Amino acid sequence: MAPTACFNCKEARAVIIRPKNRHKLCRACFLVVFETEVHETIIGTNLFYPGERVAIGASGGKDSTVLAAVLKTLNERYGYGLDLCLLSIDEGIRGYRDDSLETVKRNAVQYDMPLEILGYGELYGWTMDQVVAQIGKKGNCTYCGVFRRQALDRGAAKLGIKHVVTGHNADDVAETVMMNLLRADLPRLSRGTSIVTESGASDIKRSKPLKYAYEKEIVLYAHHRQLDYFSTECIYSPEAFRGSARTLIKDLEKIRPSSILDIVKSGEDMAALVPQEVNQGGRKCGSTVAAEDDVGGCGSQNGRTSGGEMAAMEKELAENESAESRETEIRLPKGQSLNVSQQKVIKKQTLGHCERCGYLSSQRICKACNLLDGLNRNRPKTAIEVSVGMEDEESSSTLMRQMERTQLTNS
Amino acid sequence: MPAKELVRPCMDCKDAEAILDTRKRQLCGNCFKRFAGHKVLMRMSKYKMKKANRKTPKLLLPLSLGVSSTVLLHMINDDIERQLAKTFVNVGFELNILVVDPSTILAPDAKYDQAYEAVTKAFPKLTFTRLPFHSVFEYVPDMKEIIQEYAGSKITDDESRSNEDRLTAFRAVISTATSKADLDSVLLTRLVVGYAKGLGCETVIWGDSDTRLAAKTLAGVAKGRGASLTWSVSDGMSPWGVAFDFPLRDLSKPELEQFKSVCDDLSEIIVPDEPISDNVLTKNLSIDELMMRYVRTQGEKYRGVMANVSRTANKLESTTASDDALCPLCGGHVGNVKGNSGVTVANQSSDNYSSKFCYGCMRSRPEATC
Amino acid sequence: MSDGTKGAAGPSIPITVEFTGGLELLFGNERKHKVSLPACMDDGNPTNIAYLLPYLVDNLMQDQRKEMFIMEGNVRPGILVLINDADWELEGEETYELQPGDNIVFVSTLHGG
Repeated sequence: MAPTACFNCKEARAVIIRPKNRHKLCRACFLVVFETEVHETIIGTNLFYPGERVAIGASGGKDSTVLAAVLKTLNERYGYGLDLCLLSIDEGIRGYRDDSLETVKRNAVQYDMPLEILGYGELYGWTMDQVVAQIGKKGNCTYCGVFRRQALDRGAAKLGIKHVVTGHNADDVAETVMMNLLRADLPRLSRGTSIVTESGASDIKRSKPLKYAYEKEIVLYAHHRQLDYFSTECIYSPEAFRGSARTLIKDLEKIRPSSILDIVKSGEDMAALVPQEVNQGGRKCGSTVAAEDDVGGCGSQNGRTSGGEMAAMEKELAENESAESRETEIRLPKGQSLNVSQQKVIKKQTLGHCERCGYLSSQRICKACNLLDGLNRNRPKTAIEVSVGMEDEESSSTLMRQMERTQLTNS
Repeated sequence: MPAKELVRPCMDCKDAEAILDTRKRQLCGNCFKRFAGHKVLMRMSKYKMKKANRKTPKLLLPLSLGVSSTVLLHMINDDIERQLAKTFVNVGFELNILVVDPSTILAPDAKYDQAYEAVTKAFPKLTFTRLPFHSVFEYVPDMKEIIQEYAGSKITDDESRSNEDRLTAFRAVISTATSKADLDSVLLTRLVVGYAKGLGCETVIWGDSDTRLAAKTLAGVAKGRGASLTWSVSDGMSPWGVAFDFPLRDLSKPELEQFKSVCDDLSEIIVPDEPISDNVLTKNLSIDELMMRYVRTQGEKYRGVMANVSRTANKLESTTASDDALCPLCGGHVGNVKGNSGVTVANQSSDNYSSKFCYGCMRSRPEATC
Repeated sequence: MSDGTKGAAGPSIPITVEFTGGLELLFGNERKHKVSLPACMDDGNPTNIAYLLPYLVDNLMQDQRKEMFIMEGNVRPGILVLINDADWELEGEETYELQPGDNIVFVSTLHGG
């Protein structure tokens, strides 16, 4: 095949086909177009103000590495006047973060950005190793996931920074949209696509500037700029909501590459169609600012779970149904119109702030504080664990596995 | 008292052998039919509530002659028959049935001829009409111009052309399986609505199983048509002033197939689906087919989770205001739905910006390279 | 590695294969591999990527989970293929005929970071 010329400059050899519009671009034009689109997203959503201090949630993975590289480039090119730094979280598991933290340290030098590494120990008073020592290997994923969700915000608060950016990309957002349909989560359907999420831990704002960027282009951007990033084992479970959605999205991308962005577009529109009463707490439905979503931390585990949650929900649904059908049978002779009114019953979710730490929570005391209470009182099995299933889609099986491995090699 | 020795008694009547498993229960054919029929009649019961000074509502049931819509017709007809046998007849509505020949067959197909003849014979009291797909140009008079503008320079229409040729020419310039399936369903909806309006029907009763609704929801989302879910898979008002209703939404496709298996009189009518072979590579499927495959395979294990999908979509609220711009082709929102400040569309380069067609239709447009 | 010399009657094509983005974990944690392939396939046609894929599974892959790399007889969705740094879609995907000195890169987008 003869080389194809770049759609943009018409000169250099095209090396990229853009998923969203099938444009063929050369390396140099691709890098510029990619950066320009992130810039347009930033400008179009008034994401930053001049002089703002912004912490980049950095895991050393592809998404946060590309985010750091692009923000540095744009900050210089367009004179945003941002004060950027890298913020990494160390769960405190001996051996586990070594490689990724090494990558982040190199990134800090490469991008000439200050780096803060905060450990669970500093943030919560407990490292994961200590948690495991207390409660054993079973169930510690819950702690790690719950802690990770708040870690970046707490870390930023410690540094006096009010804006944390994360590397969530269009594929992540599309996955979240599909996932929220599968698990019938209207509240999250209404806020999962927002570029800015309000965090609750005081006034810290979270945002995802790469929300419209394809994972494929992020990886290619990293490749063509030869960025230094770290990858873990591929671990998503097809039996978990996110894993199932992820498989679906990768299949869709093969059929019609634009569909990832098309899902994001659908997700944004659907968010505006979620009934108001679902969104309590004064947030305007579909506005740019929304409550913090589940997808987590610095992107390392990024919502991958141990699986089994689809089966758990299926079981629960089947039980509800059989209870319901028993009821229906009883009122069968008369209750003809009953079912019609049943249709639009909607689960409400009221969001407030944790009384103890101020983090956004649907309960009086947030999950992290509850878990900490349990740990501090030397009573690991708190009742809250039972209700964890639905919200904690980011408890991490890799972490679990790697921990086991680390412990094996250490002993 | 039971005199019969049953190996596996039906869990409902306990008086007959259970022949099928459904939702963790074993039932005989009759009890299953009653169970499934009840789910549908509950949804249809709203048409029986007599209101003063109100004319009997006219309903249109589009019949594909496939399993789902034929079973729906059978269930509704059963109820009509039951009502007619009573002293106080309360059918509650007037039912019309429309059969549209699939887009893929242009000349009459013996298979469909036979099925059509069988169905009209099986339900002699009901009114049937059969239309070719290309009659969309008759029932939606401005469709010719819309198509012309939509396809742009890709087709040149001339007045002497027959509707049949017009449709063939249009379908020929649509490049991918996904876009073809997408536009076929847009045109089919327009034809059904156009016919319903001509007849004075206030509601279209769609024969989509819950499985199909879940697949349509996911496919709609994946094609950028999320804003249209409030009517394309939800009970409510469509953009054309005709209401849409989906009374099969409590039954899955496998359950409707079970229903068919215990209903001998349907076997002559139903033109069996040609299921997509498992050998077809994923990348060669259309998005609609991919989603149908996904929901069906996942539904074997997670029926309830798959049912979540259409149930969630059905909870979305239409926010259509009279000044909203609607797509002349599919009736969907043009631009962003109110309150959605996403920048995707603006970020999409010129081809999707400032168009009179909606985002979803622009994605399936002939010029679109994806 | 006797397979590498299969059909050794004809000339062979030396190429470089790289696995990155986490994919190297399936290939003995080794990013770069030098591979020599016969110039012609069994049917006499020039050796292409479709030939290379099962070759990699049989000869280089150390992980047993074949489906982490190959699905439906092709590269798993979510793994990018670059032929001399260009997206393989520009080069005809699996029908691309390998040339001596080619650099084929497989990059995973599926791995965490």
